[in-house]
Amino acid sequence: MALSGGAPVEVRHLLKRFGTTAAVDDVTFTVGGGEFFSLLGPSGCGKTTTLRVIGGFERADAGHVLIDGRPMGQLPPNRRETYMVFQRLALFPHYHVFDNVAFGLRMKRLPEVEVRRRAREALALVRLEGMETRRISELSGGQQQRVALARALVNRPRVLLLDEPLSALDLKLRLQMQEELKRLQRELGTTFIYVTHDQGEAMAMSDRVGVMDAGRLLQVGTPLDIYERPQTPFVAHFIGDANLIQGTVDALEPRTIAVRAGALRIHAHRDGWERLGAPISVCIRPERVWVAAAGDSAGGLRGRIEDRAFVGQAVKYRIDVDGLPLRASVPYRSGTPLFAVGETVAVGWDAGQAVPVPADGGGFEHADVADRRDLRPAGPASA
Amino acid sequence: MRIEGRTALLLLTPALGLMAVLYVVPLAVYLVNGLHAFRDGRIVPVWTLETTRRFFADPFSYRVIWASLRLSFIVTALTLGIGYPLAYALHTRVARPGARVVTGLLLFSPLVVSVVVRTYGWLILLADRGLVNTLLRQAGLIQAPLGLLFNLTGVVVSLTHILLPFAVFPIYSVLSRLDWTLAEAARDLGADWQQVFVRITLPQSMPGVVAASLICFTLSLSAFVTPQLLGGGRVQVLPLDVYNSTVEINWPEGAVAATVLLVLSLAAVWTLGRALRLVSAA
Repeated sequence: MALSGGAPVEVRHLLKRFGTTAAVDDVTFTVGGGEFFSLLGPSGCGKTTTLRVIGGFERADAGHVLIDGRPMGQLPPNRRETYMVFQRLALFPHYHVFDNVAFGLRMKRLPEVEVRRRAREALALVRLEGMETRRISELSGGQQQRVALARALVNRPRVLLLDEPLSALDLKLRLQMQEELKRLQRELGTTFIYVTHDQGEAMAMSDRVGVMDAGRLLQVGTPLDIYERPQTPFVAHFIGDANLIQGTVDALEPRTIAVRAGALRIHAHRDGWERLGAPISVCIRPERVWVAAAGDSAGGLRGRIEDRAFVGQAVKYRIDVDGLPLRASVPYRSGTPLFAVGETVAVGWDAGQAVPVPADGGGFEHADVADRRDLRPAGPASA
Repeated sequence: MRIEGRTALLLLTPALGLMAVLYVVPLAVYLVNGLHAFRDGRIVPVWTLETTRRFFADPFSYRVIWASLRLSFIVTALTLGIGYPLAYALHTRVARPGARVVTGLLLFSPLVVSVVVRTYGWLILLADRGLVNTLLRQAGLIQAPLGLLFNLTGVVVSLTHILLPFAVFPIYSVLSRLDWTLAEAARDLGADWQQVFVRITLPQSMPGVVAASLICFTLSLSAFVTPQLLGGGRVQVLPLDVYNSTVEINWPEGAVAATVLLVLSLAAVWTLGRALRLVSAA
């Protein structure tokens, strides 16, 4: 299949209200041509609405969408170069596989020979050769997924919009389709804008991720960036697992800062924006926390094991450190000693691995995020 | 919920009993007359096909059958032609719940009024000096009144009005159950809204169209009051034939005509039932 050459997409100060609530609240980002970009957030965060505005299914109340530098204005979906893979696929049940895939080409009134050639090519691309005359209802979930992809890709879109296309699949199939999507995107060079609530999915596939919450785009960056340098407590919690410790900046040193949190004084990496005496959060990933027997002279803080879970590749501890709940995930190799519940241990982390996060939320946000994470269906990251 | 066989039977008994006593038995008793003869103004209770043979030998019978079918086809086509856009608009354009209730009430209002009253209403509207002719004459569009009454036109207009809700309702209910992301997907793939309608919405709503046709066709076929009052004797359809024969004590001929009517209705049900299976399977 010929390369279509992905088009860059620019979203500027997008605003979309439903009634009095802003579903999308002043969202701005740029996606490069041929980039795999994900919009990640909990349900109701405005990611799907943003995608639907880009595709022309919703009208923005303010702001602009530019595709390949051209403002889209009020252009309807059928006059945009974007193609969408819908969450519930929206395959045409009264057409068989081939006619579903050929639909877009026939709308373009291409000669039937061309329609046949390209539709077959698209079916081969998603590995569905020989399924042309099957009815949609006769296909498995994964096959339907591929038909939906082929139906969009056959048009050689310069921008492909994907609205949680894998959410209906079971875990194994989902992982397989993730690889397949990544392969297709690389081969075709199409710009992908992918909406998902599953951070594992977003991290695994994307060149860059935009994290949304309550209509706002909180942070945009590479998966590594977002994981290593979350800019809000929400992002820290939503991407991976995080200990988030609230406190005030107690001292500024050349490479690190000291933070007073209740009775504790902890050290974290210094980014440069921190102000002495200002409230701050410190994000420590559980896998960066070490746990040692209390008698060892390793230093660190004293804590008591509250709970222990062995998950195979790691041992997960919940540790009480002077009233501060801390989670640790210690890699497990045969012979690694396990600490018992109730045991007193030494815990600590390398100050460079503790990331300062501007404190904008506080305890409420903390709980709020945790609740929402529990509502998510089990994905690769939470499994 | 699954119901045990005996409970189901118990629940069905009143309805089945009522149907048996009030419908099946009288119908059978009446239809059996078709196998008797009518001689010298009297029913002769002998078993014979004489009446049936006479019915099918009479060219008038075929004119009546043809008139019945023609009336039903025209009325069905008109109710669908008016009812589909109405149902579509009701679903897609009437967004506010209040407006939807008002439209629904207006639509179903003919059902609140007796057929006889409605038919007389049309009599007033369609008469030579009625509202329609008067308005058209005053507007200078016609010189002499259009003959709208006591012919097929009057019957068609009135029946279409009466049966319209029966066409709108099944179509509306199918439309309201459609997955509208299919229309969005088609738009996304380059279809304009006419193409979306022809390729997606219309095929998907065919079960509603077939159900509407079934109801309107069979009800038109068996319509009696409207052809009787507005046909002026010039719209001879099977139900009128049955009625006229019966009041002339010619039960055998009435029974044969009634049997033909029943067979035509069943044929329509069967054909459209098959059509429904075909469009649902696709």
